[in-house]
Order: sequence, then structure tokens, then C-alpha cells
Amino acid sequence: MNISPYYLSNTDLNRFLEDLSACFQVYIPIQKENQRFYKEFVPGEPVSLGMPRTFEPLKAFLTRARETVAKDFNEKTPRQGKPIAILGAKACDLKGLKIQDHVFSGRDGADIPDPLYVDFRRDTLIIASDCASCLETCFCMSLGVSPHPQENFDINFSTLQDGYLVETGSDKGKSVIEKSLKLLSPASLDHLRERDNLRAKTAASVMDNIKKNSVPDQEHFKGIIEKNYGSEIWQQEARSCVECGCCTIICPTCHCFLLYDQKDEKSMARLRVWDSCMLKDYARVAGGGNPRAKLWMRLRNRFEKKFDFFPKVAGIYACTGCGRCISGCPAKIDIRRVLHKLVEAHV
Amino acid sequence: MCKNPYRLIKAQVLDVITETPSIKTIRFKPEEPMSFSTGQFFEITVPGVGGAPFTPSSRPSQKDVFEVSVMRVGKLTRVIHELKPGDIIGARGPLGNGYPIDYFRGKEILVLGGGCGFAPLRSLMYSLFELSGQFKQLYFRGGCKNPGEFLYRREIEGWYERKDLNIQLTVDKGDDTWKGNVGLVLNILDSVHIDYKTAIAIVCGPPVMMKFGTKKLLEMGFSDEHIYLSMEKNMSCGIGKCGHCRIGTYYACKDGPVFTYSKIKSFPEIWD
Repeated sequence: MNISPYYLSNTDLNRFLEDLSACFQVYIPIQKENQRFYKEFVPGEPVSLGMPRTFEPLKAFLTRARETVAKDFNEKTPRQGKPIAILGAKACDLKGLKIQDHVFSGRDGADIPDPLYVDFRRDTLIIASDCASCLETCFCMSLGVSPHPQENFDINFSTLQDGYLVETGSDKGKSVIEKSLKLLSPASLDHLRERDNLRAKTAASVMDNIKKNSVPDQEHFKGIIEKNYGSEIWQQEARSCVECGCCTIICPTCHCFLLYDQKDEKSMARLRVWDSCMLKDYARVAGGGNPRAKLWMRLRNRFEKKFDFFPKVAGIYACTGCGRCISGCPAKIDIRRVLHKLVEAHV
Repeated sequence: MCKNPYRLIKAQVLDVITETPSIKTIRFKPEEPMSFSTGQFFEITVPGVGGAPFTPSSRPSQKDVFEVSVMRVGKLTRVIHELKPGDIIGARGPLGNGYPIDYFRGKEILVLGGGCGFAPLRSLMYSLFELSGQFKQLYFRGGCKNPGEFLYRREIEGWYERKDLNIQLTVDKGDDTWKGNVGLVLNILDSVHIDYKTAIAIVCGPPVMMKFGTKKLLEMGFSDEHIYLSMEKNMSCGIGKCGHCRIGTYYACKDGPVFTYSKIKSFPEIWD
């Protein structure tokens, strides 16, 4: 695969996106006060791709928060419209997609695939971008993720002073780039050097964050849940939790959902809505039995799923270091602090 | 395009049978072929109300009509209890893995059940009866709170007549209609005369019975890998994606719901 980088000027980015809009519904990240969100691209509007991760996790494009998965007794899965192109996906969210893929893709016949996810994943174009800066809560490098995407993207953009360095990461990405070659020129050595400097700068800021917050590296995570299963850490940390479920809803790796049914006079539908293992009734069985009746048990379960279950079944920690659960938590429960405590307790 | 695993098969309710004050059996006929092997489950949905997992209690060899016995415990089961013949429901399945009946051939088998555990166990017993003579010995030990709550009481009492079955039943608390044993089901295990080391035990019932039943079987000498447990969890998707029914590194819906004790014993708090 040809991944030799191209250069795209700032002014041509808009034209590139207009080209893209012919085949895709294009979503771009935008800054609103001190948060970043995705919105649909409107030709002519300014686009900036160096910002750190958005408020919403990337998974929100692939398994919607609330979505019809079956109508009446029909086989057809209802989803329509142009395929989506997502611009500015971050390395942390791309790692999140690995977990989502593990759960929903059917893993080459090892599991039942989720048809909505499989179709959407196949049709969606992911244009990633390097982080040109980081947030105070970013700690991706503790989880083996660098702040510039290295895998799991179709195209990647690296922000330079006056343009972008463009790389392809898949055949799908390559075919899109080939349609816009008129806008692209081969990247120069100076461009590459500039990119590498910027990457090193962002990586250094993330490392500063990690040091400042004493976040342990994932190489120390093995067995931290089993060893601390009976620890008081869980009760201590759960004390301020208000059971809002935010930490799981905005997590790029969390995948849990609930099927529920709706009907009107003419039809009925099954819907899939995101669910959270932090909520009391999540694991409750008919008749009232609840394996995790206490809030601290549910907090422990959340960590168990991320740092014990997924490494065992998929060989990957289900945390990306994006820090969303830290900034989202009204009770200031900080996953970096919990990890630090778990590792420290059993060094 | 892969098959839609969330799609429901339309089914018609044929009959609603009152079993006990809190349990009704729904007989339904799907419009498309469905099947299950004993121990597997269906997701049964009342259109617009919701769905839940139920293990059929009917004969797996009967492929056109199925039965599920449902205890009234909440909103959905209340609606299920109000179903009438002719009503339309949805069914999805079969889901999960059932009992390895073929592996049981030629062995001594003890089936230990309690309360609403009789629902899946009735289907299992039908499967075992169909292979009558192919097991060295077949024991059934069943218990219930009281005779009034005894699911399929008449039918199960009828099994005393069978030559291929050694059966004992008990209730925690008897009444005028009950002439049999009174006390916990664990107390009628002493009359099971099989080689515990090689015999198969199948346990299904309320969590507390499963927990102490398994403990007792281990004390008797049954081996971890010969104790088959049917784990109750709140499966939603039934295909290992929604996360609800996790037991350690497994999902009860796709890796179970039937597990050997050896497969799950290392996980903490499996009985909760």
C-alpha cells in the first residue's frame, strides 16, 4: 500500500472536503467555548484538525445512542442515507474502535456480527488527525497510544503551519485520495521534519501530564483487578459517585446496550439504547436478584471490564487514555488516581 | 449483508395455562420454523412492551409448538400473564448452548432442581426420557417451597411410575395435599446411590439452591467438570454484545447459559 505522504494546503482543505461531500455526509470537529463537538460540514466554513479529542466519543457514529435495530418482524435493518466521513478522529478514539470492532464485527466468524455495525463500519470513511496539543486530562501514552494516529484510519492528516500532511492507511482511503490528487502535492522533507517536531512536542506534553498526575504505565496493569478485588479502594472511590453513568456513556470503549420495544398503531420496533453498568438495575435479574447491588461493586465491575475482561478476551486494555470520564465526572472520580492506587497497592 | 440477529419471528399464542398462583405456561406457534436443544433459550417479546430470555419447558423434538413457563415478577411478565390465545408475540432464538446430551449417554445422571428451575428441567427430562435405556442410571431430586407453588406437580409426580427413573420430591413446607418428603432438597440426596466420581449432575433452580446444591455435590465427591449449572443472568441481546450477562470472561448468553462448574468456579461471586 502506498502510504507516502502528500501535502495539502490550508486553502485546498475546503475544496477537498467539498469533493468529499459528493459521496459522503462529512462531519468535522468544531470548537465551542472550551469544548469540541462534531457537526456536519458546510462548504466554506473554516476547518481546524489539530485540536484534541471531541466531547463525544467516535463510537457515537457507529452504534448510535438510540437506534432502531429491527422493525416489526422484518429482516431488514433500518438505516439509510449517504455514508459518513468523519474528520479529525483521534488516536485514542481509534483504539476505542478496536474494542467496538471486537464486540460488534463478528471477528471473522468467531462471533455473531451486528449487521448495522458491520455495514456502517464498512461504509464510513475515517479521516484521522494528529493532536497538535493535548488537554490536561489526556494520558493516552500510558495506554500505549500515541497522540498521532498510527493505525485503524483510512486517511490521516497532520497539521502543519500552513497546511496538512496527508497519509493513507487503507485501500478505501487511497481511492478517496486518488480522486483529489489535483489538490495534493508530494510532501517535502521539510514538511516531514515539521510534522515530526510537532508530534514530538505533543507527545512531550502528554508525558508531562502523565508524570504530573502519577499515571502508571499499562505495563504495570497485569493482575491489578484480581489483586485488588477485596481492596477498600472501591468503596473509597465510589463514595462520591452519583451514579449518573456519564463515565461509561462518553467512554470510547464502552459498548453496553439494552434492547427495548416500542409500538404505535401501525408498527413496532426494537431499539438499541446505550446502557451503563454503573446503573443499579443493569445486572438485576427477574425476581429482584442483583449481583452488584452496591455502587462500589459496580465501580469495581467497570474497572474489571476494562482492565481484566478485555485484556483476557481481546488482548487489549479497554481504556484509551482519552480522559473523557475524568472531565465528565461530576464527582471527580479520576481514573488516573484509581489506576495509581491499584498499581501502588500491589507493587 | 449478514442476518439480522435482532429480528423477531412472529408467533401466535395458542394457550395460556395457569400452573401455580404465580406461574403460567404460554404455548405458542411460530410462523417460521424454529428449534432448540434442551438448555438453550429464546428471547420472547410482547410487541411494544419488551422482551426477556426464557428457556423453553417443552419437548425439543416438538418443532412447531413451544412452551415457556413464566413467573410473574415484573412489568413484562405481568403482561405475559395477561396474554390470550390468538395474541401475537415475537420470538428470537435459539440462543446459547444447551446440555451436551450425547456426552451424557452411558453415564449415571443426577438431575437436581428447585422452584422455577423445573421449567428448563422438564425439557431436559423429556430429552433424557427419549433416550431411555441409554443411561446407566437416572435420578431426579426436586424441591419446592410448598405444594401450591410446585410447578407441573401432577406431571412430575407421574414420573414416580417410570421404571427408568429414580425420583424423590420434597417441599420446604407441606400441606394437606402433600404426602411426601418435607425439608430441603439437599436432604434427599443421600438416597442417590451412584458413583459420584464419574456421575453427571445437573443443577437448576434459584441461586441459593444452586450454590448450596453445588457445594453439597462437591462434598459428595462429584467432580467440578461433571456438575452442569444453568446460570440465570439478565441477557438482553442474547449474542454476547450488550454486556449484561457477563460471568468472569464469559457471557452467559453465548458461552452458556449451561456451564460446567469447573468453567466458572474461579470467578468471584458467581452465585450472586
